[in-house]
Amino acid sequence: MRPDAYAITIILLAATVESGTILLFPIIGEIFTERSGILNLGIEGMMIIGALVGFATAFMTGQIYWAFFMGMLAGGLASLIHAFISITLRGNQVVSGLALSIFGLGVTNFYGQEFVNLQLAHTIPQVIIPGLSQIPFFGPILFKQDYMVYLSYILVIITWFILFKTKAGIQLRAVGQNAQAADAMGVNVYKVRYFWTFFGGLMAGAGGAYLTLNCAPFWLDGITAGRGWVAIALVIFARWNPPYALIGAYLFGAINALQFQLQSMGTTIPSALLSMQPYFLTFILIIVATLLVKAKHIGVPKELGIPYAREEK
Amino acid sequence: MGAIVLQVKNISKHFPGVLANDHINFGLRKGEIHTLLGENGAGKTTLMNILDGIYYPDEGEIYLNGKKVDIRSPFEATKNGIGMIHQHFMLVDTLTVLENVVLGLESQGFYLNKKKIAERIKEISQNYNLNINPYAKIWQLSVGEQQRVEIIKTLFRGAKILIMDEPTAVLTPQEADTLFKILRRMIKEDKSIIFISHKLDEVMKISDRITVLRKGKLVGTVDKKEIKQKELAKMMVGREVLFRLDRNPIRRKGEVLKIEDLETHNDKGIIILRGINFSLPGGEIFGLAGVSGNGQTELAEVIVGLRRAIAGKVYIKGEEVTNLCPKAITKEGTNYIPPDRLKVGLVPNLSTVENAILRRYDREPISRGIFLNYEEAAKYTRELIKQFNIMVPRENAPVKFLSGGNLQKLILAREIREEPALLIAVHPSRGLDVGATEFVRKKLLEERDQGVAILLISEDLEELLMISDRIGVIYEGKIVGMVDIDDANINEIGLMMAGVHKNPLLKGEENVKV
Amino acid sequence: MLKFEKRENIPLHLRILIPLISILLGVLIGGIAVMFSQVNPLTVYKAIFIGAFGSTYVFSETIVVAIPLLLISVGLILVFKMNYWNIGAYGQYIMGAIFCTYFALNSAETMSRPILLMMMCIAGMVGGALWALIPAALKAYWKVNEVIATLLLNYIALYSLKFLMYGPWRNPRSFGFPLTKIFDLNAQLPKLISHTRIHLGLIFGIIAAIIIWIIIKKTKFGYEIRVIGENEIAARYAGINIAKNIILAMIISGGLAGLAGMAQISGIIHMLQIEINPDYGYTAIIVAWLSGLNALTAMIVSFFLGGLFAGASQIQITMKVPIGIVGLIESSILFFLLGGAILTNYKLYYKGRKII
Repeated sequence: MRPDAYAITIILLAATVESGTILLFPIIGEIFTERSGILNLGIEGMMIIGALVGFATAFMTGQIYWAFFMGMLAGGLASLIHAFISITLRGNQVVSGLALSIFGLGVTNFYGQEFVNLQLAHTIPQVIIPGLSQIPFFGPILFKQDYMVYLSYILVIITWFILFKTKAGIQLRAVGQNAQAADAMGVNVYKVRYFWTFFGGLMAGAGGAYLTLNCAPFWLDGITAGRGWVAIALVIFARWNPPYALIGAYLFGAINALQFQLQSMGTTIPSALLSMQPYFLTFILIIVATLLVKAKHIGVPKELGIPYAREEK
Repeated sequence: MGAIVLQVKNISKHFPGVLANDHINFGLRKGEIHTLLGENGAGKTTLMNILDGIYYPDEGEIYLNGKKVDIRSPFEATKNGIGMIHQHFMLVDTLTVLENVVLGLESQGFYLNKKKIAERIKEISQNYNLNINPYAKIWQLSVGEQQRVEIIKTLFRGAKILIMDEPTAVLTPQEADTLFKILRRMIKEDKSIIFISHKLDEVMKISDRITVLRKGKLVGTVDKKEIKQKELAKMMVGREVLFRLDRNPIRRKGEVLKIEDLETHNDKGIIILRGINFSLPGGEIFGLAGVSGNGQTELAEVIVGLRRAIAGKVYIKGEEVTNLCPKAITKEGTNYIPPDRLKVGLVPNLSTVENAILRRYDREPISRGIFLNYEEAAKYTRELIKQFNIMVPRENAPVKFLSGGNLQKLILAREIREEPALLIAVHPSRGLDVGATEFVRKKLLEERDQGVAILLISEDLEELLMISDRIGVIYEGKIVGMVDIDDANINEIGLMMAGVHKNPLLKGEENVKV
Repeated sequence: MLKFEKRENIPLHLRILIPLISILLGVLIGGIAVMFSQVNPLTVYKAIFIGAFGSTYVFSETIVVAIPLLLISVGLILVFKMNYWNIGAYGQYIMGAIFCTYFALNSAETMSRPILLMMMCIAGMVGGALWALIPAALKAYWKVNEVIATLLLNYIALYSLKFLMYGPWRNPRSFGFPLTKIFDLNAQLPKLISHTRIHLGLIFGIIAAIIIWIIIKKTKFGYEIRVIGENEIAARYAGINIAKNIILAMIISGGLAGLAGMAQISGIIHMLQIEINPDYGYTAIIVAWLSGLNALTAMIVSFFLGGLFAGASQIQITMKVPIGIVGLIESSILFFLLGGAILTNYKLYYKGRKII
């Protein structure tokens, strides 16, 4: 490959990882939430809350990692509203999640005014991993990122391990597939669902915080631009399995990085059509994934969206 | 026999509208098989669910080995050495045997030591002749094997008291014998077993002592050696039980249903009907016996158009109806009483009226152009209520508030009123009390006398023997035997249900061995 | 501790109390949020009220906002009754606006006003219906999740609009701003009440609400939809063609959302641009749910939520209170409504004593 093309490819792929990481956190979070049987459509709301809280914390304290943590926590707390309604009060999960997204967008619009168009003095610092970053081609792409990206790599591995190799994973899969059986076996269905819904919120908040602390890095009303919805779509694509979440997130990230690059390079393709591509791609991916899932009988956690109540005679 | 290991004192439990357990007293001795006998709705399962911690009693106490215990969850029940095996297995089908056994265990650490657990499972399996592979996925196992996984689960947790709720409902007579052998081995190892059943034959076979419940109350506890079947039946029902309903002589008319080489898949995509052949004339009740899981429900679904046949043909009154949509098949004069009332036959949140018209909402006079005539609908519903004696306090309230018996009567009324030529009834009296059950069976006989062809699918052999004119046995997707009711022998039928005997009435059927 | 026990009937007074209390609590939450911004909530609410109902003109502005909310929400009620979650009214609205603009731009000279407006209405409905047909068919035949499909289509619709606005349909005399030329009078919906902006769309909305109510309560189609929504298996067993019903209901829902888009740009904005209030598509979901999925009630709820929005828009300028307060209050009301719904079917016990 010509050196120019090579360099651009590396840059694009590195941008893919960065852009994909924004999605990777919430996708993994929602995978676990849905595996427990809870459908949380509030990711857009939780993400943007995390985005604002992260940004505001960073702006006010200058502590980037602390800001990331606060953004995460904010997302987690927001998820508890949905958790309480869906789990304890057995409310309609579709509408509750939607309400959470509208809530998030409203709350961040309301409190975010003072942060509009402000810039962060410092963003997430790049951390180059010695040795690994020298690997030809993959090194600069994967290991010249920041701590959050590295965190996301570890997250994929750890969550996969938890899901399939530990007791907690068995409990989670049982609760999502047959809550009555899990309950009969002594698993606290409510606790499991609260825990993983909260985890989903933490992850959504993390994704949002990563957006405003690194990729943006400024605050705008509605800055998440529908990524929360894309994340939910990609959970289906990932077939509720963490390693596949990586593929989906990076696919979206790639298209995103590509259309961004094309726009900044000044292409004749109208920018609106370019911006449309990531959503269009996700749309196609959903259709494909749905057809595949149907064919292989793997699937949707059977309890998804169904509230659990023990004493039903 | 040994000392009392479990004592239940004065236990009461009520649910909205019904007192399920009314001051029950009951004692279990060490090393005995104690049967809890009663009809559907007597309160047996409720009492056992209390012992298992799923329900908490409103009154009363439980004592284990003399000490009072408070059981508030299945987990605590397990800690107290009680292990329950439910009628509907508490298994997660996408997980393996090992993962299901381990689910909810406290002592294991974070990481799962699969090898050690697998070894222990194999040990238990060999000890009691259970024959289970720890790494198999539950959905791959047969029903009998799944039941044995449930047994392993309880033994793995050190259960000393086992409760089995209607375990033979899903087994052939031969598999039931295997189970009894396993149970007898267990009591030799000083386990104590509570066995719930409503089947008198096996109760007499397996029990040491028997406690009878009726309508939530304790009737009495007797020693098996000191009582006869007929007396037990009387304790169960409270009056003389008729073992054979009187029937008019049969008058067959024409061929209403004909099935040729029918094949289909089940929900998991595995072939479940492997070539069904039979014909059914009007005026006959054809009872189809078989252990659940051999294709009966799927057969019914194919006939009424809810499931696709992948090969073969279905004829109703001479017209081919294979794979037509349900509406078209209904038009041919077919009606269906599904096995699961609230899930399939009714819409729980809609009113009684709206449920009653489910079969004729698009026909005059209830239909009027694109509109629904609710006055006509209400009129029709009241007719049904009167004819079938259904208790409906408020006809516009959601139908889910009616009792099980009345719900089934509503479905029966609705389907029979369509004056079908063919009626498919699947488990029509499941979960009903004695009065409702008698009503259902009487109505089916009435329809048969009117010339309706009835395909009766039931797990209850007693019911089939009671009202069928002809009995067929389905095994592994094929009809392996067919007898006139007068020639029917319950042992032979049981063997056919397990696929053993060859029936000379069937042409070209090979000997299918278990 | 906290326990729920099934009821034997549904008490009537709760059916009214729960929504009312939810509204109060939601408003309370909004008040608390405002307090954190160091503004007096009572001042804010009074200003919202005045901004919504205080004078004849603002009252009429409230109705103006209510029109698209009503049109979209009654369409949503139809599909929500079937448990089909159409989150795509946003995109269907945009498509309706785009389709009718074609006629507005190209046929204003050649058609008379009534004909042109009729064509625009039809075009608007067709646009919305087509955009709804895609996810409907995907769900009906391939079981594709409708929440995500409709959502993604929203973004595709938005970018399609942007494409047209920055590209072929941009008015060459708009100094580069993404707008079409202003619609001729021929292409504008007539006003109903002079000195206000209330347009013919109001009649559309009221008629739509009544028609939807009749459909759901009195027709076979409505009956089939309710059966599908309550128990899909029983629906199949009754021979109801689920695919056909999904598609038909979505065509109606998308058509109404598209009509709302047409009404808004033809009756109020008088041109196509990027800011055409497609967010009504999301607010309408809240209207539908708060109306208890009853099309007649939706008339009242759209009016009040319209008031909330209109009033808040006023104080956005006068008191610098961000418009996000609306979403905050609306979603809070919705939370309480969703959480409180359990009380209609279950009694609440605390430590053994019945509370509700």
